[in-house]
Amino acid sequence: MKSSRTLGLVMIAPAAVMIILFFLMPVVLTAVFSMTNMTTATGISGGVYQIAPNSLIALKSAMPEIAAEMAEPRYTIDEAGLTAVEGLGMAPGIVAELRAKHIGEVFPARRDVERMIKDLAERPSTREVKQTSEQFNRSVLNTRFDSKEQLFSALDNLGFKLTPEQKEIVAKTTYTGWTWTTENFSRMASSPDMARVLFNTVLYVALVLTLFNVGYALLLAIWTHYMPPTPASIFRGIWLLPRITPVVIYVLLWKWLAWDSGFISILMGKFGYLPKNYLLDTAYNAWFFVVLINGFIGASMGMLVFSSAMKAIPKSQFYASEVDGASRWQQIRYIILPQMRWPILFVTCYQTLSLLASFNEILLATNGGPGNATEVWALAAYHTALRNYAGNLEYGLGAAMALVLVVIGVTLSLLYLRVFNYGTLVAKPLIED
Amino acid sequence: MAERSQPSANYRSWPVITALTIVSLPLLLMYVYLFLDTVTVKQPDALLPSGLTLNHWRFLWQTTAGKANIWQVTLNTLLFSACTTSLVLIISSMAGYVLSRLNVPARGFFLAGVMVLHAFPSVTLIIAIFIVLQMIGLYNSLIGVILVKAAIDLPLGIWLMKGFYDTVPWEIEMAGVVDGASRFRVWRSLVLPQVKPGIMALGLFSFLAGWGEFILPQVLAPGNQVQVLSVYLAGFLADDNNYDFNMFKAVGLFYLIPVLIAYALFNKYLMNIYGGGSKG
Repeated sequence: MKSSRTLGLVMIAPAAVMIILFFLMPVVLTAVFSMTNMTTATGISGGVYQIAPNSLIALKSAMPEIAAEMAEPRYTIDEAGLTAVEGLGMAPGIVAELRAKHIGEVFPARRDVERMIKDLAERPSTREVKQTSEQFNRSVLNTRFDSKEQLFSALDNLGFKLTPEQKEIVAKTTYTGWTWTTENFSRMASSPDMARVLFNTVLYVALVLTLFNVGYALLLAIWTHYMPPTPASIFRGIWLLPRITPVVIYVLLWKWLAWDSGFISILMGKFGYLPKNYLLDTAYNAWFFVVLINGFIGASMGMLVFSSAMKAIPKSQFYASEVDGASRWQQIRYIILPQMRWPILFVTCYQTLSLLASFNEILLATNGGPGNATEVWALAAYHTALRNYAGNLEYGLGAAMALVLVVIGVTLSLLYLRVFNYGTLVAKPLIED
Repeated sequence: MAERSQPSANYRSWPVITALTIVSLPLLLMYVYLFLDTVTVKQPDALLPSGLTLNHWRFLWQTTAGKANIWQVTLNTLLFSACTTSLVLIISSMAGYVLSRLNVPARGFFLAGVMVLHAFPSVTLIIAIFIVLQMIGLYNSLIGVILVKAAIDLPLGIWLMKGFYDTVPWEIEMAGVVDGASRFRVWRSLVLPQVKPGIMALGLFSFLAGWGEFILPQVLAPGNQVQVLSVYLAGFLADDNNYDFNMFKAVGLFYLIPVLIAYALFNKYLMNIYGGGSKG
């Protein structure tokens, strides 16, 4: 019966398509984009070749005299220009003589072409000379070329004598689109800002993880474990609130608590302190609140995992220990904690990854401030690529920063898969065709 | 009997209740004032309200200049969460069944892949997704964000549904197959009803996740026409001058109420997911 195989493929196809399109492809593309210098300025599709003032500045260091020549307008006697002069309604002899004697000539400066026009048999007036010369102005400055070939043929026609290598340099400096580069990675490795951000990230993950996701979660689980069921479930409900509350409201509540018109300021005002923004006034305060904000959310998952693990401990162990006169602390120390080793490992592993990559709360609460004090890696990548005060969004560099997290994410996920041995879950189907 | 359900009947519980109440106070305070501040008048430097008002809720019938209409935004949010939820439910209930019961090529590989993706922080992909959506022209459209959000929730959904299918006894399907039904028919009419709790749990989770999602709509669909409530509220928050906490809180409460209702009604189902370890 082959139908179940076909059915299986059909039923799994939508999931496969969605995951490949919006999950795996972005992973690959993050790697691809990280090898480019894509920014808002270069755009995300291909660019054009344009000899703009800033590309000439770049060119000046490589080939100063050619850059200077390109900055000047050039005058070429060509058919298009002649037709335009005919339209001006001057003496027909001017055009005829230009066509006969000078077609194809290139003049490097306005002065030269105007001297030539003045020497024509018709002897045009100064006004006519100016009008005529203007029709032959063939400056390369600020003209756009869609391809390299167009750029090169235009340069040839204008009489720039360039070697193929020089042409390549010109093409490279005048290209407005993105190009392949590994510069993002060297920038990441050498920048002191990045080192700072890395330090912040490590500090942030370590603090939130140990203090809240594991430490405080364990405390909550133990406390609720020693409570009658009703208050226990009430408190668990309270500590789940931060998790189910949409992050924007949750951060709004913290701002209400900590801002200069907020609760703490008003409360401290009663004792004669001036109101201030406790969230952003010093780096220490900002860190204090960032850890609290994320910790309160993170504590809930640990609490649930630990609570259910504690429920699984046979009650007889507690009763037996009480008969032996064990104190509550001894119960925690010798019964609960030894059996929590596995859940603690699970929560630690899982939350490390979530903390490394999540930046919603920090973005909304401090936006990395004050200064760059609370800027963590994921937030820095977001700022670099998608929300940048300078206005030029560096997609390439941002993608390179994200790629670091992607690599860490994939590595850690694979590691978890080994550690927690999910292989047992992959049992063969019972109905074999 | 009540005492026997406690792990240690010999100890009093009031010390731990007191301790936990003290550490829970900041959180309680925030949520109590969230409600209180939206319906009361308070002097700028007072801690306690001095009167009742509905003025903070005026955003419901007035549109602030330069901001989107709240009902349009609510509708967008509803559309976004509902579409994401249905996509996730349909796709993962099919894929989960395949991974649990049907013999497809590379099944083990697919399972491991889903597991890795489930643990993998998807938000790191947002830059690439942003560029891709711009290239294919789905940037600033609700459809684009819905597809992305659904894809990101899928690994969890597939994994969860597979777990629920695994608990369904094989006899049910055997019986169906013996009676001559196709495997598809067996799935639709016999197996799917058995995993209702899983569907409820996943549906609720997806809905809440979609309802609260902030960073994806903020990056991929920030335009006024397709704005969702989280982005709308974040716009208020970013507006430093003219900071009217009470009105923001009213918008916030308006946004939070559906979450609280859903949570109060269905938290038993939801625990299936949070207990099993979701992202966060």
